[in-house]
Amino acid sequence: MRKLLHIDWIMFLSMIGLVAIGVVFIQSAGAARQIAALHAAWRSHALTAIVGILLYLGLALLDYRKVLKWAAWPCFAVAMVLLLAVLGLGDKVYGGQRWLWFFQPSEIAKLATILAVARFFGRKEARTDFKGFIAAMAMLAVPVVLILAEPDLGTALVLVPAVLTMLCAARVWIKGLVTILLAGLIAAGALLGAVAAAEREPDRAKREAILARIPLHPHQIRRLRVFLNPDLDPNGSGWNLRQAKLSIGSGFIYGKGIGKGDQKLLGYLPPSVSMNDFIFAVVAEEAGFRGALVTLGLFLAMLLSALRVGATCNDDQGLLLIVGISTLVFCHVYVNVAMSIGLMPITGLPLPFISAGKTFLVILMAAFGLAQSVALHPSAPDNPENQN
Amino acid sequence: MRTSPVFMVFLGAAFTLGIAVITAELWRLQVVDVAASKENQRRQNTRSILIPGMRGRILDRSGRVLADSRPSRVIMCLPERFANKGGITNIANAVDSDLERLSAVLNLPRPPGLTHERIVRHMRESSALPIYVWRDIDDTTLARFAERADEFPGFDESVRAERIYPFASLAAHVIGYVGHDRPENDTAPSTHYWEPELKGRSGLEERYDGYLAGVTGEQRVLVDVRGFKPRAADAADKEASVRQPADGLDLVLTIDAPLQYVLERQLRGVLGAGVVLDPRTGAVLAMASSPTFDPNEFIPVLTHEKYRSLADDPDHPLLNRATSGTYAPGSTFKPVTALAALDAGADPEAEYNCRGVFTLGEFRLHCWDRYGHGEIALHRALRESCNTYFSNLGRMVGTNAIVRTAREFGLGSKTGIDLGAEAPGVVPDAEWKLANSGEPWYPGDTCQMAIGQGMLLATPLQMAVVCAALANGGDIYTPYLRARDSWMPPPKPMRRIHARAEDIERVRMGMRAVAEEGTGKRVLFRYGERRERYRLRTTCAAKTGTAEVGRGETRRKNTWVIAFAPYEAPTMAVAVVVERGESGGLTVGPKVHEILASRFGEELP
Repeated sequence: MRKLLHIDWIMFLSMIGLVAIGVVFIQSAGAARQIAALHAAWRSHALTAIVGILLYLGLALLDYRKVLKWAAWPCFAVAMVLLLAVLGLGDKVYGGQRWLWFFQPSEIAKLATILAVARFFGRKEARTDFKGFIAAMAMLAVPVVLILAEPDLGTALVLVPAVLTMLCAARVWIKGLVTILLAGLIAAGALLGAVAAAEREPDRAKREAILARIPLHPHQIRRLRVFLNPDLDPNGSGWNLRQAKLSIGSGFIYGKGIGKGDQKLLGYLPPSVSMNDFIFAVVAEEAGFRGALVTLGLFLAMLLSALRVGATCNDDQGLLLIVGISTLVFCHVYVNVAMSIGLMPITGLPLPFISAGKTFLVILMAAFGLAQSVALHPSAPDNPENQN
Repeated sequence: MRTSPVFMVFLGAAFTLGIAVITAELWRLQVVDVAASKENQRRQNTRSILIPGMRGRILDRSGRVLADSRPSRVIMCLPERFANKGGITNIANAVDSDLERLSAVLNLPRPPGLTHERIVRHMRESSALPIYVWRDIDDTTLARFAERADEFPGFDESVRAERIYPFASLAAHVIGYVGHDRPENDTAPSTHYWEPELKGRSGLEERYDGYLAGVTGEQRVLVDVRGFKPRAADAADKEASVRQPADGLDLVLTIDAPLQYVLERQLRGVLGAGVVLDPRTGAVLAMASSPTFDPNEFIPVLTHEKYRSLADDPDHPLLNRATSGTYAPGSTFKPVTALAALDAGADPEAEYNCRGVFTLGEFRLHCWDRYGHGEIALHRALRESCNTYFSNLGRMVGTNAIVRTAREFGLGSKTGIDLGAEAPGVVPDAEWKLANSGEPWYPGDTCQMAIGQGMLLATPLQMAVVCAALANGGDIYTPYLRARDSWMPPPKPMRRIHARAEDIERVRMGMRAVAEEGTGKRVLFRYGERRERYRLRTTCAAKTGTAEVGRGETRRKNTWVIAFAPYEAPTMAVAVVVERGESGGLTVGPKVHEILASRFGEELP
């Protein structure tokens, strides 16, 4: 137990700070509503965080190498089964089939995939040639396809870069990675270009025809159109973005005070998103630029200290693990905040540690518990334990 | 170890760059462009409500209140208290059912205008405003509501200002009435909502609306995404009054309420109108039109049925006959003819032999005395109102002289009184006749006009102005209803009649003879049951008129009296017309006597 004194304190404390911000603003967002369940949401966030911290410390004490060795593949297998199950049994919420009983299997799948990839390419004998690349693509394709089927584009959108960055760190067949990257960029550009072309088409029938050929769900096409033209439908699909920008923009440097955001109090920022995907708008309105800066600073401190642990751990598995989870969190933060301020199309992604969401919070804490384990279990270059 | 820790440095730099990009955009959004966001947000979540000021009173010349604002208890529905019921349909249903329940509890019928559709529209368009359900609640009902208010959390009672006319129909045509309307406010283009304001619809209420209404105030309220006022306490203190409403001013009239009452009592039961002027200033002391109406019945709302019943009444109670009713002035016009002739050089002592009928080619005109007045000069012709004498006089002086003098007296054009609608009347000439009937002017037309018949038309107000000018020696004043403030100099006459003072005096003496021993005896005297004569406790002059209008079945007589008193220094000039009377002297004379007697008294000599 004394070992715990040697954890990476910056990483730990910045996480506690982010969770605290989450509790405060979930309370603030929930208090504006008449529904009792929303009033209590901050309490369940805090309780989940306590459970998560216990898990965090427990995993920190375990040797991550053993965890990866014994749990990575079983976890991956279970996660894929759960993803299949959710397609058959899940509850539909906001147009997506993401919930199985009380948790979201896609959150588990994200961590499970990262663990499996770290385990697979962290071994000494791992192949990094074309065959290794094919194996990696297979490991990535299974969860991504299943997640896209829900459909949960956002989760897929953060998992892919996280895994690709890990493969990059592992130097797996660079040509393949570059091809994938280019293909992704071209695909994204083509989709956006097609939507933009449709937007410029004055003839309604032709516009509909172009939009019908884009292989995306109608709500995704709507989001792309709103991204290109924020004033397109301010009372419909452009509502959340417009209101989020008004919330953030009216916050000024000092904010309106916690619990005093007009946008949320008056219901302009819909209660369905104000404590979830758009909680950053509440933070920025009530705590101002100052508060937003503190939040982003805590994320950066946490991610950079995680990277430092990874850089000094002398172990490929640990390094890949840390690259995976920190890229995942960074993508979450970036996509979430960027969509709130109109820099990216809207995708339903929570803000790590802050958005209300129990599965994701527990998964995140488990992931960073493993990162702490990397910090607590360094390897000497010739440590025989490193050879497994 | 294949993986290079250097990769971590690149990754860390990428993370930092990403966060920096976001921070830069946040700085732009939150700090640089903060004003635009705040303004957009304010536009989105505030509504301004226009609140009318308390409407001013209307007072008679002695301060008697003719129109007042009184508190009226209302029961209203507050939409925001239903906001938790869900969508608009559910809210409207909840309001509906509570309304039915409350209607049963209070034993008040549900207002017919407040349909389900009306409630839905209110929730959609103006959900930050209350719905006024029942106005003018009596104390018993209010007590019943207070007892059970707990069961109706969405309803509350409040006080609103309503108009009241304490003397009911007194001077109704002068005062006019009010309706509810959107307050006027040019300075608030962003105004979303308004409390209905009392707005003058007719009479002085309309003419001096800006003066009475005061200055509309403006209040900003915060509204939530559905347009309801938020119930949260911390939102309430963001309600701000941008400008307090200012109460309207009191309007003091020249009307003398007791005299007005006497005039109206004299006109009760007949169709007609009367005007009393102060010949020294043109101030209107009384103005009445009969039949009349009670403006209190228009409050709180003038229903369509009520309005139709008044508007479709064949007697036109809403018409102000004093300013808008045009009548042939008949013999009351003869003083004007006389002045025109004297001005043109006619000899007042020249005698004309009245044989009861006047002929000019094919034109024949009967004197009312079918045996004729015999040899008659101006003084006796005025006294006896001899038609043949004046027809002959008219023939001698010509159309133009009469037309010019009539127009000098203000006939044929609006008097300019400070009261909305006014008819100009008609002083016909050859041009007018050709334009309006397509026929040329015949010499007989001049003779007709000389005795105030034919195409000549005047309003009672115009004849009162004529009478006032004869009373004061030839000054035409613009009649007015709003009392002049004490610091203002007395009004100046608009113009002077072009006539010699001795000519005017000659006509006045003729009119005095009318009242003392001529056709207008009943103006000066009242005959008691035993033929005893009560005399006004003053001197007076008058002229009667009996104008025959229409032909055949619709043939009728409109009867007139114009009179002023005291003769030496007149303070009252009266003009009264009664439709379908017998004769000016018999029908209207006693009425004018009562009007003058109310001021000067009468005695048994």
